[in-house]
Amino acid sequence: MNVMSARPRSAAPIRRPGLVVDGVLLLAVLAAIVLALTTDRFLTVANAKAILTSASLVGIAALGLTLITIGGSAVSLAISPSVAAVGMIFLSAQSLGLIAALVLAVLCGTLITGLQGAVVGYAAANPVVLTIAASFAITGIATGVSGGSTVSPTAGGYDRLNATPGGVALSVYVLIGLALIVEWTLRRTGFGRSLYLIGENRRAARAAGLPVGRMTAVAWLGAGALFAVTAAFTAAFNTSANVNLGGTLTFDAIAAVLAGGTPISGGRGSALRTLAGAVLIAAASDILLLRGYSTGVQIMVKGVIVLVVVVTVHLRTRGSRA
Amino acid sequence: MRARRPEASLPVAALAVTVIAFVLVPTYTGSALTSFDVYNMFQILARLGLLTLALGLTMIAGEFDLSVVGTYAVGGMLTVQAGQQHWAWGLLAALGAGAAIGLLQGGLIARLKIPSMPVTLATYIALLGLTSALSGGLTKTYSNATVTLWVDQSLLTYFSPRSLITLGLFVVAAVVLSLSRWGRELRAIGGDRRAARVAGVGVDRLIVGTFVASGVLSALGGSLLSFSLGSANPDPGVQPLIVAAAAALLGGVSLAGGRGHPLGLLAGSLAVALLAEIVAVAAVPQYVSQLFFAGLLGIIVVIDAPDLHSALVRLRTRLRSSHHPRTSIQESADV
Repeated sequence: MNVMSARPRSAAPIRRPGLVVDGVLLLAVLAAIVLALTTDRFLTVANAKAILTSASLVGIAALGLTLITIGGSAVSLAISPSVAAVGMIFLSAQSLGLIAALVLAVLCGTLITGLQGAVVGYAAANPVVLTIAASFAITGIATGVSGGSTVSPTAGGYDRLNATPGGVALSVYVLIGLALIVEWTLRRTGFGRSLYLIGENRRAARAAGLPVGRMTAVAWLGAGALFAVTAAFTAAFNTSANVNLGGTLTFDAIAAVLAGGTPISGGRGSALRTLAGAVLIAAASDILLLRGYSTGVQIMVKGVIVLVVVVTVHLRTRGSRA
Repeated sequence: MRARRPEASLPVAALAVTVIAFVLVPTYTGSALTSFDVYNMFQILARLGLLTLALGLTMIAGEFDLSVVGTYAVGGMLTVQAGQQHWAWGLLAALGAGAAIGLLQGGLIARLKIPSMPVTLATYIALLGLTSALSGGLTKTYSNATVTLWVDQSLLTYFSPRSLITLGLFVVAAVVLSLSRWGRELRAIGGDRRAARVAGVGVDRLIVGTFVASGVLSALGGSLLSFSLGSANPDPGVQPLIVAAAAALLGGVSLAGGRGHPLGLLAGSLAVALLAEIVAVAAVPQYVSQLFFAGLLGIIVVIDAPDLHSALVRLRTRLRSSHHPRTSIQESADV
């Protein structure tokens, strides 16, 4: 014990890493604000709407991923294929009517992701590798069933999802509403509180008698439902769906969760943080776009933002615990 | 022998099964195997081998380097962009970038003790962006056809310079990790990092070294692929990562870390390359082979899952006690 406690102390004299981190963070935020204010056409209502709209689809999926991450199962790498598959189901079920198609989409999304969650929850399978396998399986099945072709809507009901009440896209209202619901569930219900405990310390949660497997599976079920909502909006927006409908959504959603400051190790974080992360990344991409940078630079900056937040959150939590 | 875990024999078993399946290919396609099929299998190995080795080394150390595919893409793109004058400049740029990426990630992970997943994920996103920015999002062609012909020319009937380099690096990694203490230390920090630190292993240096090796190997993999295709693709997708992860897991490394050897990784890569060649020869649609790999990876990850056994035991007791409360009591009474 002595050997272990003596070494770090001699290596690092007593100092407060939190202070340095806060200073750097403050400078970064100031720089970002200055950059934003000096960007032409950034401070317009139209641009604010554009940022919110582009944050909304990623944000809804990221809310689902937040449940997975807080519950201690790290991330799902199968978000894009799930969204693609559910989007295809949603559009091909349009002839049943919008509501029926939505219900069917949410059911299928819940089933696809919930199955993965059951394996992660009950068997403690590694979620990253399991969802890598699942993404292959979902894409394979979707390609096999659709014959690799693009699905067109069987009726026009889906177009109501593209409505813009009050000039703002419907998906923005849905994002804010769902963020509040998820936040309330996490803070105020027994399920939410157990989820934090399971994410913080799975073994302790099990020792305390919590049904770890079932809670984890339920978190993934909820995530699947939220992925399905994203799928319905994405498919409605594109008016057609194929296996590539999900695009880069997997990594966009992970970026939003991590940029919001939710640590990947679980046990901490919130839905509102994810909402902030999604808006932050959308705003950064928007500034770069207005300043004329290419898509590549936008993706690169997204990666750098995630890296900086991951390091900052890690240093701050370590600083406050020490 | 009894004490050995089944994972230790997994690479040998996987290789044996796939070799038998490969030899039996004529029985279900009706056409005999040619030396070209073997050559082609080694070409597939060259494509995935270095990524598997890169990912596998970090997994032995108890980390998981998701950025290998990002480095692979950057390496391939730099090879084409910087190597138009002379191939060596492109190769040098790619390897330098790979080493720098590994140094940065390894340094962050070792010094700040951050979990490697979020860091390498962020780097992966940033590197894909960088590759896309370098190329303007377009596939870039490589004009030096001599190099393209050279790396894929057939040597000793079954090999090409590309597959020989890949095989050679596996052998180098195996020799280095077997003969030096690095092999033992790598497994030690993967198995129990705190114990390894107390035992005097230079944990930080070893982690940085592992990530640098991983970066250089992935970049070289991307380089060789660009030379071979005569072009570089800005976004290789997640497929290379999935295939490399499957090969590494078949090669006997564990998701928990602390297990594995480069020769096992080679066996895993050969098994996956053989499977891919069988799929190609038998002309199965691509989505079927995707499903096949998904199933393979799914089975491995479920077998590797720590709570599976106890979950099954619990399920069995619950089923028994709910359906046949009498019998379970009687059974225990009989015993």
